[in-house]
Amino acid sequence: MLDIVVIFLLVSGLVFFTGGAVGILRLPDFYTRLHPAGKMDTLGSLLMVLAVALFNLHDFTWMQLITSLKIVLVVLFIFVLSPTATHAIVDAGVRAGLKPWTKKKE
Amino acid sequence: MKTAGLIIVILAGAILLYATQDFPPWGAPDSPASTHVSPRYLQKSMEETAVPNVVTSVLADYRGFDTMFETSVIFCAGIGCFALLRIFRKKPEDRYYRHIATEITLHIKGGRIPEKSSEFERIDALWTPYDLIIKTVCRILVPFIQLFALYVIAHGHHSPGGGFQGGVILGASMILIAISYNMRTAIARISEKTDNLLMATGVFIYAGIGTLCLILGANFLDYSGLSTILFSGPIMARSHGIFGVEIGVGITVMAVMISIYNNLASEGKQDEGL
Repeated sequence: MLDIVVIFLLVSGLVFFTGGAVGILRLPDFYTRLHPAGKMDTLGSLLMVLAVALFNLHDFTWMQLITSLKIVLVVLFIFVLSPTATHAIVDAGVRAGLKPWTKKKE
Repeated sequence: MKTAGLIIVILAGAILLYATQDFPPWGAPDSPASTHVSPRYLQKSMEETAVPNVVTSVLADYRGFDTMFETSVIFCAGIGCFALLRIFRKKPEDRYYRHIATEITLHIKGGRIPEKSSEFERIDALWTPYDLIIKTVCRILVPFIQLFALYVIAHGHHSPGGGFQGGVILGASMILIAISYNMRTAIARISEKTDNLLMATGVFIYAGIGTLCLILGANFLDYSGLSTILFSGPIMARSHGIFGVEIGVGITVMAVMISIYNNLASEGKQDEGL
């Protein structure tokens, strides 16, 4: 039962990571590329690390619970910090005067 | 010239690749790396020092001299950066102040420095408005980073980590304050004088523990001599001695990181920058 949940989380995390990678490669400019880099990587790593934390709980001993709690802490910090870092990078781009990409009128 | 360089590079690379054939296979039991002294460390480390992490026991106990002078090297790097970069300027420079209520910026050219007041706030020449998100997240995060750094220092006996790594994380937490606020805020937390004193304190703690062993009748940096003052057996005394040494290393590394960052980012003025 636990394995199914873990596999589900891992696969969905992988889907988000793939989407993020495709987005970084295919989107046209700085800001749009930061969008998948910030959002998809956060959600993807969140799901994957959660899957690792769940997988670690197989025998449910006290030590494993402690380790899983530490892994959940990692999830928490990724959740807070990755969007903040993206925000800081975008902020620097705006302040440096980079114009967002628009569709040219033809 | 380019072709000559290319030929030399290819030749040197080919010779290096040829020489790798004489290396023992990876993990071979009869290779020099795993025959002389390393099996002894691997087998005896736990019963001699009560430290499960062999890397820590080799680094801080068996090879204690090496680590002590490594710490001194880091200390010298900090002092070198200080001596090369630090500028003590006598005449006052241009300063920028911002009226907090109206957000009007004043530019004061030389002359008399205004007194501190709660209405005006000194800002950098390249000032950008503080970002609320970054500021808040960094403020919340810094205690956790420092807690983790202390964990890394204290847990070096059991897991990867130790004084060097923990010290760098501690220094990074202070650098994060300097980046997310400004340098004056970080220097108000740890002043330059404190920082430079801490640099020397770490090396002093390391060498002091070594000398303490000498005073108590053991060899220099032989922590088993500390058992009389630590009220524990010689094996646990070695474990505690390693911990004390790691604290010294951590303090030095932290202070040197902060000092190098402050001197580099502010071009030696320790005033404003980044």
